This record gives sequence, C-alpha cells and structure tokens, in this order.
Amino acid sequence: MSNWTRGKRRETRENEHENGSSGPSRWSHCRKRGVDGSLRANREEDAGREKGGHSDSRNASFTTPEGTGPVSRCGRKADWGTQVENDEMKRDVHRDMQRRRILGAEVTQRERKISSGSSGSCDSKEGEHIETDEAVLLRRQKQINYGKNTLAYDRYIKEVPKHIRQPGVHPKTPNKFRKYSRRSWDQQIKLWKVKLHAWDPPTEEGQDKVLDDIEELGIDDVMDIELDFPDFQNVPASLTTHSCSLEGADDCSGTPVKIQKTETTVQPDLA
Amino acid sequence: MENSAEEYRIQSLDMDTQMLLKTALKDPSSVNLEKVSDILVDQSLKDQVFSKEAGRICYTIVQAEAKQNNGNVFRRSLLNRLQQEFKSREETRARSLQEWVCLVTFICNIFDYLKVNNMPMVALVHPVYDCLIRLSKPDALMNEEEVDCLVLQLHRIGEQLEKVNGPRMNELFYLLRDGFLLQEGITSMARLLLLEILEFRAGGLGAQRHRPQVLLQ
Repeated sequence: MSNWTRGKRRETRENEHENGSSGPSRWSHCRKRGVDGSLRANREEDAGREKGGHSDSRNASFTTPEGTGPVSRCGRKADWGTQVENDEMKRDVHRDMQRRRILGAEVTQRERKISSGSSGSCDSKEGEHIETDEAVLLRRQKQINYGKNTLAYDRYIKEVPKHIRQPGVHPKTPNKFRKYSRRSWDQQIKLWKVKLHAWDPPTEEGQDKVLDDIEELGIDDVMDIELDFPDFQNVPASLTTHSCSLEGADDCSGTPVKIQKTETTVQPDLA
Repeated sequence: MENSAEEYRIQSLDMDTQMLLKTALKDPSSVNLEKVSDILVDQSLKDQVFSKEAGRICYTIVQAEAKQNNGNVFRRSLLNRLQQEFKSREETRARSLQEWVCLVTFICNIFDYLKVNNMPMVALVHPVYDCLIRLSKPDALMNEEEVDCLVLQLHRIGEQLEKVNGPRMNELFYLLRDGFLLQEGITSMARLLLLEILEFRAGGLGAQRHRPQVLLQ
C-alpha cells in the first residue's frame, strides 16, 4: 500500500468522522436535529464544534466524593449540557408518572361503573398494570423523543389533529406506561417510526435540498462525470463519502453508487 | 428597543452585538446560538456589572428557543462553555482576580435564573459550591473583592443552595467561621462582611428576613 493511498484513506475517515455528528445519511434530511441537539439548518457548525468536556470533565465535576447527581452511565457524556438534559427528561417522566397516577385513579372509578370490556382496552388505567420502573420509562421516553424529533412527526401532528385520527391508519405514539416486554416495545417503536415516514417531507423538497448540498460542497462537476469519464482524475477523494447522500436525488439515481465504485478503483492507479 | 437594552444591561456592548442579542431574544433559530452564548460568557467575564445580571438574558433566550422550536442549543452551548471556564478556574484566578470574581458571579447568576421545571440545575450545584468554597479559603479571604463576591452570592442564592445540599453549606461555613476567628491579615471590612454573613446564616440565610445592603460597590 503506497503512502498516498494510506493518506487518502485517513482523509476519507477524517471526513466521515467530521461529518459523523451531523451524519449525511439517507434519512438526515428528515431529521430535525443532529445528534447533539442543534437544528439541521445549522449543520455546518455541528461538524466543527468540539464537544465540551470529555474524560477530563469528570475531574471537574467530581471534586467531592459525592457525585453531581444524575450522570449518564457513559462517562464521556458528563458535560453539563447533557447532564441538564437528562435531568430534565427524568423530571418530565416523573411528572408524567404523577399525572398518570392521578388520572388513572379518577378514570378507574368511572370505568368500574360503565365498562364491561377487558382490561386491555383501558389504556393502562389500572394501577397494577402500569410500568413504574424509572430506568425503563426513561429509556422508552428517549426512544419516543427520537421519533418525535423528526420533520415527519412535526408535519404529522400539524396535518392530523388527534380527534380525526383513526386507529390503524394513523400512527399512535406507544404508551410508555403500559406493561410490555422489551421486544414488544422495541417493535412497536419501530413500526411507529416506519409509519411516521409517510409524512416525510416530499421528495421534491428533499431532492432540492440534496442538490443544494451538492452545490455547497462545490462538486457540481460530479453531475457531469457520468458523461465524461476521464474527468474522474480531477475529482477529490472526499467525494466518495459525500456521494452517498445523493441517494435521494432522482436525477442521479444509481449513478452516484457507480461513480463511487469506479473512483475507488481509479484512485490507486493515480498513486 | 432601548428598554430592552437597559433591561438586560447590554448597553456596554457594541451596536452589532446588541442587535444580535435582540434578534436572539425574538427569533432564536435565525441566529448562531453558539456564537451568542460565547459572546455572553465572554462579556460576563470582562464586565462585572454585566456578570451580575447576565443570567436574565440567558434565561430569556433559553425560553424563547424552547418555545420557538423546542430546542436547547443555546442552553447546551452556554452550559458547556461555562463548564470549560469552570475547569480552568484556578488558572483564571491566578491570571486575574477580577475575571475569577466575574466567573463566580456569572455561574451563580446562571444557577439562579436557569431552572429546570422550577428546580435548580443539579449539574451546577457542586460547581457552585466548589467556587464558593474556593472563595472561603485563607488566600482568598485576604482579598476584599473575593470576600465581597462570596457574601453577595450567599445573599442571592444561599437559601436555594442550602436546600439542595445542606452538608456542603456547613462545610463552607466552617471555613468562614475559622477564617473570621483565626485568620490574621484579613482587612477589617472583610471581617465585617464575614461577620455579617455568619449572622445571616444563623438567621436562616434570608428565609426569615430581608437581606441587608452591606456591599462594597
């Protein structure tokens, strides 16, 4: 392996890593926020920004034997921003639990008079069937948050108010307070998120956005490559990663993949 | 427009920056919130007057962003930047007492204003205590500006702090009491401030009475 190709590979890895946090993936144009919480519109800043406080931050917060309170299992997330968010999520879940307890008590009394149905039809309104394990509730809430943090969900709730929703047709957020097995819950979440994709931003929008991205990256020339093979040599290596994000674009459907494969075989020859 | 400049004490900043902040208050998603948080932290470290009330504008931007798009980019970058400054506080103190005092004032102000569901941010409790305890160490008690900062913060947030962690407040006050009684070289003004704060605590840190205005300006 020549020095040149080794260098190129590292560069590709670095580019991937740099873009990793704001991930130009197939679905990235549907996600409202990047992995660090910032809105997709501000993507350029994400890539450059370093996350404050990695392993060192633990020293700062752990100045006394007692910790600073709720800290994520994975030490690298001990930055204050994340701690506060986790704290907030915990409080939200606790508040939900309280509400559920109050509502559950009221409804159970009413239900006993009227209902003749099975307990499955009462949405976890009976005390003994409520999920109360905090760790489970937090995990489920996080999964729900991922699903709600999408353009699709935003569009869905604007388009279809609750009273119009039909069971089966319209996706419904899984109820974190009901008792389900882990597998059952994970499957419900998966199906829910798949259903939400029906409200993804329309492909014209997506395509335009992707084409904008292409221009931003300054690789308009890529569009001509399919016609003019010899120009490959002038194309920088970073394109191999960016061309993956063109999957959504109808204009070059299939072509980007071909380009990518051809480029990787061409490059070693240039060494 | 001028009212909001006064309200948030941003008159000391240049016009462009003021405009940026005002836009951040009205339309957070349209500005670079990371840059805004950096500006606010930088200014707080330079300007003592600003550091005493900067928490307020921060709080308003956090609320505005949450309301506009349920985001917390600003809060996150503010807290993480604050964390960086906190980590290097000893160097800061060595370099400039003024900057160190501003930093403590600002962190305490953020603790005061930025609540989560009306509760103090748990993540800040120990760092705030660390700062105040640092101010209670013998070398710090020798400097009036550090003592002044300490008593100001205890007046403002002492009660809240004690509620979230009583034992550390005890730890802090043992240091203060020892300093007041035993340490030589403390100025008479500093001693007066310490005495006042010791009495203040004995009275319940303001839970039972108004705080007196014994402050160095």
